[in-house]
Amino acid sequence: MTVSRVLIANRGEIALRILRACRTLGMGAVVAYSEADRESLAAQLADEAICVGPADARRSYLSAAAIISAALVTGCDAIHPGYGFLSEDAGFAEAVRDHGLTFVGPPPAVLERFGNKERTRRLLAEHGLPTIPGSEGMLRDESHALAEASRVGYPLVVKPSAGGGGKGMRTVRTPRELEAALPVCRSEARAAFGDDSLYLEKFLAENRHVEVQVAVDANGNGIHLGDRDCSVQRRHQKVLEEGPTPALSPERRDELRGRAIDALVAAGYENVGTLEFLVDPDGDYYFIELNCRIQVEHPVTEMLTGIDLVALQLRIAAGEPLPFRQEDIRLRGHAIEMRINAEDPAHDFRPQAGLVERYLAPGGPGVRMDSHLFAGYEVPPYYDSLLGKLVVWGEDREVAIARARVAIDDLVLDGVITNRDFHRALLDSEAFRAGTFTTALLDRVGPAAFLGGPRRP
Amino acid sequence: MSEERAVGGGPRAGSDGAGAAGSRSEADRLADHAAIDRLTDELLPALIAKLGASGLGELEVREGDWRVRLRMAADGPDRAPMRRAGSPVRAGSPGTAAVVATAPHGAAGTPREAAATASGPRGSDAVRSSEAHPPRPRAVAVAPAVGVYRPRPGLAVGSRVRTGDRLGVVDVLGVPHDVVAPADGVVGGSYVEPGDGVEYGQELIRIELASAAVAGEPTTPGAPPRDPAPAPAPPNPAAPAGPAAPSAPGAPAPAPSAPAGPAPSAPAKEGPR
Repeated sequence: MTVSRVLIANRGEIALRILRACRTLGMGAVVAYSEADRESLAAQLADEAICVGPADARRSYLSAAAIISAALVTGCDAIHPGYGFLSEDAGFAEAVRDHGLTFVGPPPAVLERFGNKERTRRLLAEHGLPTIPGSEGMLRDESHALAEASRVGYPLVVKPSAGGGGKGMRTVRTPRELEAALPVCRSEARAAFGDDSLYLEKFLAENRHVEVQVAVDANGNGIHLGDRDCSVQRRHQKVLEEGPTPALSPERRDELRGRAIDALVAAGYENVGTLEFLVDPDGDYYFIELNCRIQVEHPVTEMLTGIDLVALQLRIAAGEPLPFRQEDIRLRGHAIEMRINAEDPAHDFRPQAGLVERYLAPGGPGVRMDSHLFAGYEVPPYYDSLLGKLVVWGEDREVAIARARVAIDDLVLDGVITNRDFHRALLDSEAFRAGTFTTALLDRVGPAAFLGGPRRP
Repeated sequence: MSEERAVGGGPRAGSDGAGAAGSRSEADRLADHAAIDRLTDELLPALIAKLGASGLGELEVREGDWRVRLRMAADGPDRAPMRRAGSPVRAGSPGTAAVVATAPHGAAGTPREAAATASGPRGSDAVRSSEAHPPRPRAVAVAPAVGVYRPRPGLAVGSRVRTGDRLGVVDVLGVPHDVVAPADGVVGGSYVEPGDGVEYGQELIRIELASAAVAGEPTTPGAPPRDPAPAPAPPNPAAPAGPAAPSAPGAPAPAPSAPAGPAPSAPAKEGPR
């Protein structure tokens, strides 16, 4: 199962990132692009670039047939899906394999096993990971719901077992609120997902989002590569990530990382992945979900470990054993990643498009910019707004913040409005400097509180 | 449009509302239209001639807020292969020049792009883009998907085809996707071989348009088209003689022509047969 030529089925900064990993491993790299990305940097730098469809992602980056056909036509033996799009689609992974190609990610059966969030939660709970306390199974009726609620304790979140995006979800603080919420949630869930089964979960108001990066080879050897803290979120979208988390003591972090990798190996995972946890103010952590792909914020871990995670992903997919053991992994210093998005913080973060007139990446010690921008590049309006990731490293958190502050000022990017000012304000805020951010903070106080006001949260 | 303005009696009376897209001012739009006209009517033909004569691969000209870049296709005269290393950006059409003109943001912040290729088609816009510019006597059938190209049995140079005819298929994992003729005419040649892998929107088959064939004006592959097809004339009539009075203070003079309306329809859609 060698991999010698990879079709990159993605766009933007991650297409470029994968291209570079392929090059360092001596693999050929072909970029699949949509008509809107014809002039993209990845398409220009690739060994070969092939148009797979129109701007509409459903007919290009999300079309399994077009992507596989492009791989066959260009003589590739593997497909790297990046993140988003087809990256966690078990059906796609299976079709890739059926055409004699290697899917760079977990094998289809593994994706299938971990594809359902509720099932994954139960599976990893069986293997020793704490999950958020909640009802036993689905709520049968009102009296069952009330009994389960008083057993778990208020406040609670009523959640549909299908779907996501907040539909059919309600926070309830009393039995009366629960009684009122049940019929509403049921009808919303039925309308949105065609499935009205509900369950209860303990509501954790002031939580942090901490995740553990892992890698497992085909022989079941697994290691963790430290943790990342993604508590700075706006409407469930990560804005800034750092590692290691300031929310846990070093001993508690070690314990979390160890339990995460042990459970995942026992449950039969393969390739790189991320386990996401909520951490409450007491430092108790609860597993919430597993991401079976390379993540946007993977450079935080690369800065801390010096390990190329995309190359590791490619090598594991090619059947190679893990090239290091747990004791070889050294986590050094502190890293911060800022997502530079084409969005206007002054106008409700409205997405922006347009021509990049000037672009110059920041530099200096411990500074890395992962971006597909160049002067003259036209940011298309069809896809997500990520323009790049500005990542900094320092010996400790304070140095990393200082470098981040300088780097965000050094970035030259004219022609498209970005969230740069928002990052400046975040880095200057007391909440961030003190390391006390919670996932709800930005939405509760409003981003405006971070932009230009005299009093910073 | 200039006609409306004339009929309306005042310089701007006829064109408020519907024409004012977004928040761009009328003045901005008129200025852009004037620039587009000058670009398509004067600058581009001169630049294309210069590029062809110079043997250079690329020319870039800046003027005011405009930037025009022309690239000569590096590929052979009769094929439009997928992009390979070393020829990072492909021109629109083999043996001809592709032109992309970009204006930086207007007041509303949305730049617009005017693309012209010497033989029209780029991607799936084959017919539309040949309508939007001085028409050419040929059209090109393009790949509807990424896959393996197979022409219809019997299709050969000289085969007569009508708009919508199936010329062959692109096979995508065993599922055929039809390659259709974009216009009435005669097959003039093919840019690919049967069994070739092709990308989405790739140029496959050249169609000499019916009117051009009848007019006894077959085109040579790679040669710059000498004459636009008979109808319609390029959209640059002199401004109507109406009250072309100087406009209100602060507003620019009306542009001589207004190409932003619906493009003139394609020529020769109702050719012989």
